[in-house]
Amino acid sequence: MNVRAPPADPEGLRAAATGHVLSCTGLTKSFGRRRAVDLVGLHVDAGQIYGLLGPNGAGKTTTIKMVCGLLDPDEGTVAVAGRDIRDLAVRALIGYVPQEVALYPDLTARENLAFLGRLYRLRGRVLGERVDEVLEVTGLSDRARERVEAFSGGMRRRLNIAAGLLHHPRLLVLDEPTVGVDPQSRHAILERVRSLGAGGMAVLYTTHYMEEADRVCDRVGILDHGRLIAEGTKRELVARLGEKDRIDLVASGDMEALAAACRSVPDVATAAAVDGRVNVVAGDGRRVLPALLEAAERSGAAVHSVEVVEADLESVFLHLTGTALRE
Amino acid sequence: MRAALAVTGASLRRVGRDRRALFFLVVLPIVVIVIVGATVRGFSTVRVGVVDLGAGRAGRSLTVAMQRAGNLDVRRYPSLDAATTAVARGEVSTAVVLPRGMSSAIRSGRAVTVAVMADRANSTQQAAAAAVASVVAEEGALVQAASFSSSQGLGSYEQDLARATTLQRRAAQVGVVTRIVDSNAQTLPQGFGYSAPTMLVLFVFLNAVASGAVIVETRRMGLYERMAAAPVRQSAIVVGETFAYFTVALGQALLIVLVGAMVFGVSWGDPLAASVLVVLWALVAAGAGVLSGTLFRTPEQAGAIGPPVGIVLGMLGGCMWPLSIVSGFMRQVGHLTPQAWAVDGWTDLMSRNGTLVSVGPELAVLAGFAAGLILLSTVRLRRVLA
Ligand SMILES: Nc1ncnc2c1ncn2[C@@H]1O[C@H](COP(=O)(O)OP(=O)(O)OP(=O)(O)O)[C@@H](O)[C@H]1O
Ligand SMILES: [Mg+2]
Repeated sequence: MNVRAPPADPEGLRAAATGHVLSCTGLTKSFGRRRAVDLVGLHVDAGQIYGLLGPNGAGKTTTIKMVCGLLDPDEGTVAVAGRDIRDLAVRALIGYVPQEVALYPDLTARENLAFLGRLYRLRGRVLGERVDEVLEVTGLSDRARERVEAFSGGMRRRLNIAAGLLHHPRLLVLDEPTVGVDPQSRHAILERVRSLGAGGMAVLYTTHYMEEADRVCDRVGILDHGRLIAEGTKRELVARLGEKDRIDLVASGDMEALAAACRSVPDVATAAAVDGRVNVVAGDGRRVLPALLEAAERSGAAVHSVEVVEADLESVFLHLTGTALRE
Repeated sequence: MRAALAVTGASLRRVGRDRRALFFLVVLPIVVIVIVGATVRGFSTVRVGVVDLGAGRAGRSLTVAMQRAGNLDVRRYPSLDAATTAVARGEVSTAVVLPRGMSSAIRSGRAVTVAVMADRANSTQQAAAAAVASVVAEEGALVQAASFSSSQGLGSYEQDLARATTLQRRAAQVGVVTRIVDSNAQTLPQGFGYSAPTMLVLFVFLNAVASGAVIVETRRMGLYERMAAAPVRQSAIVVGETFAYFTVALGQALLIVLVGAMVFGVSWGDPLAASVLVVLWALVAAGAGVLSGTLFRTPEQAGAIGPPVGIVLGMLGGCMWPLSIVSGFMRQVGHLTPQAWAVDGWTDLMSRNGTLVSVGPELAVLAGFAAGLILLSTVRLRRVLA
C-alpha cells in the first residue's frame, strides 16, 4: 500500500463524496449486565472535529475502542471512509491515541515512534521523515533521543499524540488527550488538534472538560450512561435550552440541601451540586437571583459568591441530565 | 512478517537497555558456573599421600608438580608406616613413595622405582594411580626410567607392575585434567563440565520465565492494544514476541556454551547434536517465558514467582544434583520436567560421546515440550491480546 497518500479506493471516494469519514450506527456494548454503550450513532466528516462529551464512565472509551476496531460491538456498525472496520487494512486510515499513554518507557521517543511507524507499514526514508515531522509538530524534536521515562507527563501525552499522527491518518481518534496536562501543554494540544482539523483530518475527540469541547469542537455529542442524549453544533445545543442562563453559586455547608432549595425556586430548570459549587440553570438569571439567594439562606448554606453566565455546554449537560460534569 | 520483526526488535532493544536483565542473562550464570564448577571439582579431587625418603631435587619437583595438578590433593607423610596407615584408613587413596637417592639415580641413568601404594578396597585407586602417572609422565624427561610397583596387598608383583606400566603408557597420552569418558557414565563430567551444562539448562529457562514480566508490563501499559489498533494481525504480534524470547534464550545459551568452551575448557560433545539441543532448549524456554507472561497479573508477580518455579523445576530435573543419586520415584517425577531430558541429553553428549542418534529420544521429548509450550503460550497470548 502507498504510504504517502491514503489509498484512493472507489468506496473511500464515495464516502468522501458524502463527506463521512467515520460513520457509526447503533453501536451497543454491554459488559455483563451493564450497558456501557447504548445505540450510539454518529458521523464525522473530513475537516470536522467531533467532541464526545461525557462524565467518567459515560462510555466514551468503550465507544472509541469500537470505532478503532479494538472491541467488537454487540450490535451496530463502524465504517471508515465507507469501509467496514473489520477489514484490517482500514486501520491504516485511523490514528488512535489511547487515553493512557501507551509507549515503551525504556525506549527513546524516536525509537517508540519508529517502532509504531513500522506497524503502520512505514519504513526507510519515509519512516525517518515522518518521525521527524511528528516530533516537530508536537515540539519534541530536541528530546527525540531521550528515553520516555525521563519525560514529564505533558511531554508523554504529546508524544502519545505524535504516535497517532505518523501515518497521516484520515481519521484521528483522541481519547481524553489533555488529562493531567498543565495549561500550557493543554493549550498547545488543543491548538494542534484545531489545525489538524483545519488541514482536512476528521477528528473524534473525547473529553469531560466542557470548555475544551467548547473551544475546539465543531460538533458535540453528549454521552451519558452510554446514551448519546444530544448532538449538534454548540450553537444548536445551546439553542435547545431556549433563553436560559446558568448561575454558579460558590458556597459551603450542605450542598445537596442547597441544590434542592434552588430547585424549588420558580423558573429554575435544574440545579446540581459539584464540589464547592451549585450550578443552576434558570430562565432569566438576573430575575431569579434574589429568590435564589433567599432559598439558599433558608437551606442554611453560606453563599460566598455568585456568577451569572451565558448558557454553555455545561448548562446543556446540566439541563439534560440534572447532574453536573466535573469542572 | 515485517510487523512481527518490528515487535521482536522493540522487545530485544528493551532487553538490551535493561541492566538488571543483562546481569541475570550474562553475569549471574557465569558466576554460578564458576562457583558450582569449583565445588564439584572439589569432590572429585583425589587425595594423594607423598613419602619422601630422601629423593632429592627430582623428588621435590615431582611433589610440586603433583601439587600443581588441579585434581590432586597432596599430603606429605614422614614415614612409610604413616603413609601405609593413611592408605588403610582411607585418608588418602594412594601414597607415592619417592625412594632415597632418586635424583642421583636419574642423573646416572639408572632405573628408578616409584612405588604407588593403594588399597584394593579403595575404588578411586585407579583414578589416583592414573593421576599420579600422568604427573609423572609430565615430568617425563626427569623420570624417564621410572617404573611402578605396588608394595602392599595388591596381588603379585608382576600383575602390579603390568598394571602400573599400562597406566604409565596411558598417562603419557592423557593430560593432567581428567576427562572421564565411560560408556555407561550416568553423570556429567566433573568441574565445569558439570556446572556449565546444568546451569545453562537452569538459567536459560529461569530467565525466560522471570522475563514473562515484560509481557505483563507491555500489556498493562496498553501497548498491545495500541499495536492491535494498527493494520497488524494478532498472529504477527504473537510471533514477534515469541521470537524475541527465543532470541534472548538462544543468545544466553550460546554465550554459556562459548564461555564454557573457551574460558573453562568445557567440551560440549558432538557439535551438531549439541546445536540441536541448544536450539530446542531455547524454544522450550521461549514457550515457557511467553506462557508466564500470560499467567500473571502484575510484573511483580511474574518476577517473584517465575524464578522459584524455574529453580524447583531445575532441582527436580537434575540441574542441582544428578538424578542418578535420587530414588527411582523422584527420577520419574524429575522426568516430567523438560530440564531432566535436557540434562540427560548433555550427559550423553559430554560423558558418553553421544551423537544425534543416541540423543534422539531426549531431543524428541524436548521437541514435544517446545511444541506444547509454544502452542499453549500462543493460545494464551492471543486471548490476552483480544
Ligand atoms: N473491560 C470492561 N469490563 C467491564 N466493564 C467495563 C469495561 N470497560 C468499561 N467498562 C464499564 O463500562 C462503562 C463505560 O466505561 P468507559 O471506560 O467507556 O467510560 P469513559 O466514558 O471512557 O470514562 P472515563 O472518563 O473515566 O475514561 C463503565 O461503567 C465501565 O465500568
Ligand atoms: Mg475513558
